[in-house]
Amino acid sequence: MGEPGGRLGAVNVLVAMSGGVDSSSAAALLLEQGHQVTGVTLRLWGGPSDAGCCSVSDVEDARQVAAELGIDHHVFNMSEEFETHVVAPYVAEHAAGRTPNPCIECNRHLKFTALLAAADRLGFDRLATGHHARIVVADGGAQLWRGVDSAKDQSYVLSMLTPAKLDRVMLPIGELTKAEVRAVAVSHGLRTAAKAESQDTCFISSSIGRRGFLAERTDLTPGALVERESGDVVGEVAHLQLVTVGQRKGLGVDALGQHRVAVAIDPVGHRVLVAAPDEALVDQVRFDQGSLTWTGLPLLPGEPTLVQMRSHGEPRLATFAEAALHLVDPVDPVAPGQTVAFYDSVEPDRVRGSAVVIP
Amino acid sequence: MSECTSSATRRRSSLPDEAASVFADHAAGAPLRPAVAAAMVAALNGGPPNPSGAHRAARSAAMVLDGARRRIADELGADAADVVLTGGGTESCALGLLGPRNPSAVCISAIEHVAVRRAAEVAAARRGVELIVLPVDSQGRFDLEAALALVPDGALVSVMAANNETGVIEPIAELSRALRADRSILLHCDAIAAAPFSSIAELWPDVDLLSIAGHKVGGPPGVGVLVASRDLDLEAIVPGGSQESGRRAGTQDVAGATGLAVALEEVARERQLGQIAELAHRRDVLAKALSSSPGVAITSDGADRLAGHLHLTLPGVRSEEVLVLLDRAGIAASAGAACASGAPETSQVLLAMGMDERRARSALRLTMGVSTTSAAWDRLAEVVPEVLSSLAR
Repeated sequence: MGEPGGRLGAVNVLVAMSGGVDSSSAAALLLEQGHQVTGVTLRLWGGPSDAGCCSVSDVEDARQVAAELGIDHHVFNMSEEFETHVVAPYVAEHAAGRTPNPCIECNRHLKFTALLAAADRLGFDRLATGHHARIVVADGGAQLWRGVDSAKDQSYVLSMLTPAKLDRVMLPIGELTKAEVRAVAVSHGLRTAAKAESQDTCFISSSIGRRGFLAERTDLTPGALVERESGDVVGEVAHLQLVTVGQRKGLGVDALGQHRVAVAIDPVGHRVLVAAPDEALVDQVRFDQGSLTWTGLPLLPGEPTLVQMRSHGEPRLATFAEAALHLVDPVDPVAPGQTVAFYDSVEPDRVRGSAVVIP
Repeated sequence: MSECTSSATRRRSSLPDEAASVFADHAAGAPLRPAVAAAMVAALNGGPPNPSGAHRAARSAAMVLDGARRRIADELGADAADVVLTGGGTESCALGLLGPRNPSAVCISAIEHVAVRRAAEVAAARRGVELIVLPVDSQGRFDLEAALALVPDGALVSVMAANNETGVIEPIAELSRALRADRSILLHCDAIAAAPFSSIAELWPDVDLLSIAGHKVGGPPGVGVLVASRDLDLEAIVPGGSQESGRRAGTQDVAGATGLAVALEEVARERQLGQIAELAHRRDVLAKALSSSPGVAITSDGADRLAGHLHLTLPGVRSEEVLVLLDRAGIAASAGAACASGAPETSQVLLAMGMDERRARSALRLTMGVSTTSAAWDRLAEVVPEVLSSLAR
């Protein structure tokens, strides 16, 4: 694969179509740009699901959009890989008291590994997706930038992409606002133009919920709420595996009337450590060095960076160190298992890399 | 927005040359026979289509329907009164499984089509009886000994005449004789996959209920038949009028029945002319050519298979990717049973035969017919090995 497409002539591109408006418009834009476009939809989940990436009706939407665009469309069954790399770890992480990000794991293992490899084998020059993020070619390499529509930006869930992968990827809608994306779909008469956005975890239906889903696959156990400073037991939660570090809801109030904050989950000791909000604040976030991925130029120890710790979390200024981030202003504790994405401190839209948070 | 290429132009340009395209997915639905289309158009243009009515037009439609029913019955070796016209193969199987009123158990083989599997589950639940699954061997053939041990007296048994994925022809006559020797059973046979190649008339005396579907024999989709002796008490699954002797309500599809009659007659003619045997020979030649590719295994090589079926596996390769490259080369094939979502599931048939998951994920089903041209056979022999070797790691 050569230079990123879209700028340097027509390429043969496989576009991952989820059945939503973003990837529908991505396919339409690539066609407008003169590329040779083929659509693919991943069948990831056989169980009940509301919508978004997984359901049969989404596959059907994608197929019809492809037909409306006059492009070939295929469906790949990657439900085994999804189970192995996304669903099983999601359950195991919760059981271990951590808070995984299944969308990032799906992007990491499914879309940008298994599907990218399939695209290579099938002779496609590029793989495109409908993510709101941009690939900018500068200094001789492909860089990942936030999408133009900051409210819809999805660079966080792509922050595990390496430069080698970015070279083979196209993100056609990153330059557009959501309204413009819908306008593209409308102009092509696509059935998904007004389709609602998918929310939440695609493999968990609203009727069963996170608790119901996890209860079928792992033991959910009660846990004592233990005050970190005093060691006093101040309450109980019914299912400690459902508590997230940083959570305030459902943990009661302390003597001063302040909501307690979860600061650590200990499934082995059957307890959740809590603290008062100001005591819970942290100025350091440790990460798993093995999980470090550089999307662009690696950060050097001591280098300032903007860090984002949730999908639409606010970026915070921090200093990068080998195994931890030192935050300029303290923040609520960050849940182990979450991904922290690093953005450039000077060009705050540019992704530098990511890592997974550890306790 | 930049100018948008018309989708019609793009569509045409991405399609392979008409001449080079090969349809090797007959088992999903065989190309409509020209004679069928002509007969159906004539029937559709023949006047008002509802054969129920107290006027000349209805009587005329009823006459056409009677004629079609008689011709269908002749081809199936049945009596016209035994032919229940349905809305397709799935409905035929559903009526065959859900219609019988008092089975002591419902028994199906492990390789039945989803239409039979689901209907059997519903039937067992509705009648409050056990659903018993009968095993197959590694070639996908029924295990007669196991069936004898498992099927209780009074059971409704549903087995396929030939498997829709592997094409393996099942020993229905032996099974029927063995089971009936010492017990009373009701035997439904899903002959949908077998009908384009095998003689249904030879099969019918050994079973009590038999299903076929129009589109598998080059007839119209949406037309099926359940053959069931008129004396057999069947509970209709579609409530409504008393058409089809009260066994299947709803206005009959006169043109569809006519089309099915023509298709079945053509199938019989192909058999008589030796064209089915010739088809099997061409399939064997192609199988030999393909099996010389490293790692390729022809499925159920040791079993009798339907003449048009060639099923193979190549572990490490994924069915979907093979199909993409074949599609790009203008070859329509499949991984197994056609799935509504278009995504191949790992075949339950192959797993029931004891095949490991990795191999089963690589399945490729090529199904041809008498209408498959020499050029098409040549192209399959040329392109399929190329595609397989390009994906083999």
